[in-house]
Amino acid sequence: MTAAQIFAVIIFVAMFIMIVLDKIERHYVTLGSGILTLTVVFGICLRDGKAIWDTLAIKGFATKDFWYQVTESESKGINWATILFIAGMMVMVEGMAKAGFFRWLCMKIAYLVKCKTIPIFITFMIMSAVLSMFIDSITVIMFLAAVTIELAQLLKFNPVPMILAEIFCANLGGSATMCGDPPNIIVGTSLGFSFFDFLTNTGLVAGISLVVSVIFFYFVFRKEIASEHGSNIDMSKFPNPSEAITNKKDFAISSVIFGMAVILLITHATTHLTVATIGLFIAVITLLTSGKHAIELLKKVDYKTLVFFIGLFIVVGGLEETGILELIADFIEKISGGNTMLMIAIILWVSAIASAFVDNIPFAATMVPVIQSLAATSGVNLNTLAWALSIGTDIGGSATPIGASANVVGTSVAAKNGHPIGWGKYCRKLAPATIIVLAISNVYIIVRYL
Amino acid sequence: MSQFIISIGREFGSAGRAIAEELAKRFNIPIYDRHLITEIAEKTGLTPEEVEKYNEAPKLKILSRRVNGYSNSIEDNIAEMQFEFLDEKAKSGESFVVVGRCAETKLRKYPALISLFILGDMEEKIKRVMKIYELSEEDAKSFIAKKDKKRKRYHNYHCSGHWGDSRLYDLSINSSRLGIDKTIDILEQYINSRINK
Repeated sequence: MTAAQIFAVIIFVAMFIMIVLDKIERHYVTLGSGILTLTVVFGICLRDGKAIWDTLAIKGFATKDFWYQVTESESKGINWATILFIAGMMVMVEGMAKAGFFRWLCMKIAYLVKCKTIPIFITFMIMSAVLSMFIDSITVIMFLAAVTIELAQLLKFNPVPMILAEIFCANLGGSATMCGDPPNIIVGTSLGFSFFDFLTNTGLVAGISLVVSVIFFYFVFRKEIASEHGSNIDMSKFPNPSEAITNKKDFAISSVIFGMAVILLITHATTHLTVATIGLFIAVITLLTSGKHAIELLKKVDYKTLVFFIGLFIVVGGLEETGILELIADFIEKISGGNTMLMIAIILWVSAIASAFVDNIPFAATMVPVIQSLAATSGVNLNTLAWALSIGTDIGGSATPIGASANVVGTSVAAKNGHPIGWGKYCRKLAPATIIVLAISNVYIIVRYL
Repeated sequence: MSQFIISIGREFGSAGRAIAEELAKRFNIPIYDRHLITEIAEKTGLTPEEVEKYNEAPKLKILSRRVNGYSNSIEDNIAEMQFEFLDEKAKSGESFVVVGRCAETKLRKYPALISLFILGDMEEKIKRVMKIYELSEEDAKSFIAKKDKKRKRYHNYHCSGHWGDSRLYDLSINSSRLGIDKTIDILEQYINSRINK
């Protein structure tokens, strides 16, 4: 190994350990590690100024392909398209939350099913999955879990099973689209996939899995969520969904913007607008329509996450430039003995197991160049490996309380409202569901692509 | 000063809790220690024993994660609920004594805070723990070490300053030097001076 490779690995491993230890905020960790990669790996060891510029990828902004892309292209270094898209969606979601959109939607659905617990349970699972296809799962679960607890208090049922099922479905829904989960955005923008590519590949298996999951959770939780009121519910005691709307004009505007975002994403393969363009457009239109509240919305954007991404991409760039990721790809090829089915199973299950315990974002960012290299050397279709990686990282995260952001937010909201969920309670129900969905996905990939 | 909040950090075996109880009695104000556990138990639906298990306990970092201020760790959530409870009490203008719970840091923004730290000589602490918990000298020593390690990890995880560092507190005092009663007298005098300042 060269000095550059050794330092790239040390920085990467140290970064991962620091993220797990949670002593220093994770965006400082990745940014510090990114700066170290630029100075030590690229500057001192490689003495390669071009590698620094390639990794910073600032030139990309000036290219037409960054904003309008007719042919698929792969990106290297800092994935600015991902960062811009996430930032844009953050602004939009803040606008929607401020107008009371999410609370209204949850309350409205509960009303439509006449506040009966089993129909709420099923519709909230589906809503969690559908919303997570377009919006980050943290926001979805934050609102859904809060409303679930509120309804549980009114209807006297145990909210824990419902929150657990919502968490699982949020992660599942996120796997269905390119913008549903950060690993998918990274995979999609790095390998030049469209929203539709995801929907017709990971989306299809997510749909099948959602049906299975709803049935699974119904049988597992039906006794636990039975309301003390039975079917005698006095609807007059419940708050009116329209009370959730803070401002009717803002509500209408945010609903239209959300609709536009969905249409732009679904049609981006036809319009050739990249996710970076869509993210920027959505952010600008949200800010323009929010008038004097624009500054407030901008202040609420989670800049820490954006900085976390920037640092992360630089560190992974270090591993890529020094050839470490090719070594990992060679290793995977070697242990699978060239067997495609085994190679896919390794990508899917290793991604899932890793994502159950460590942040799936750095994992996905690291694995994208690995599967690129693996596809080049082994001849296995890159798309197939990409779907295995996406599904593995998105679904695997559901298995433990720390596997994905939605899990942490959901269990925290539950705990703060008097329903602590420990590892045992969480894993007993969600780990088997995760294994079932992964098994379905494994069979799906083999049947469809091999 | 109409409101005063006495926070007491303590080494295990230094009689910190006994001193806190006596101060609460002398100033005729409530003490939040075990009371906080009952409060959280009522709020969460857990039994007080379960809350006690997670109380002032450091979380296992490998099994927990924090996202945008949310944490999956029950220890973290119970700690935050206690901090919020104390903050609400402080905000309401109430005077009280609080034992542990990083109060010297969490309530630092309130001018009414008088933060104390009680330490003790190891021999004295061992004697006290042997008597109260009916332990052998060896067991008492390791019990003290275990408890202090737990408190230190809990404190240092939730605060930027280090547990027991005199710079964090208004007054640090070794209860073994003058004995518990005289230590309480000195502290009472100090608190009175602060109140009447």
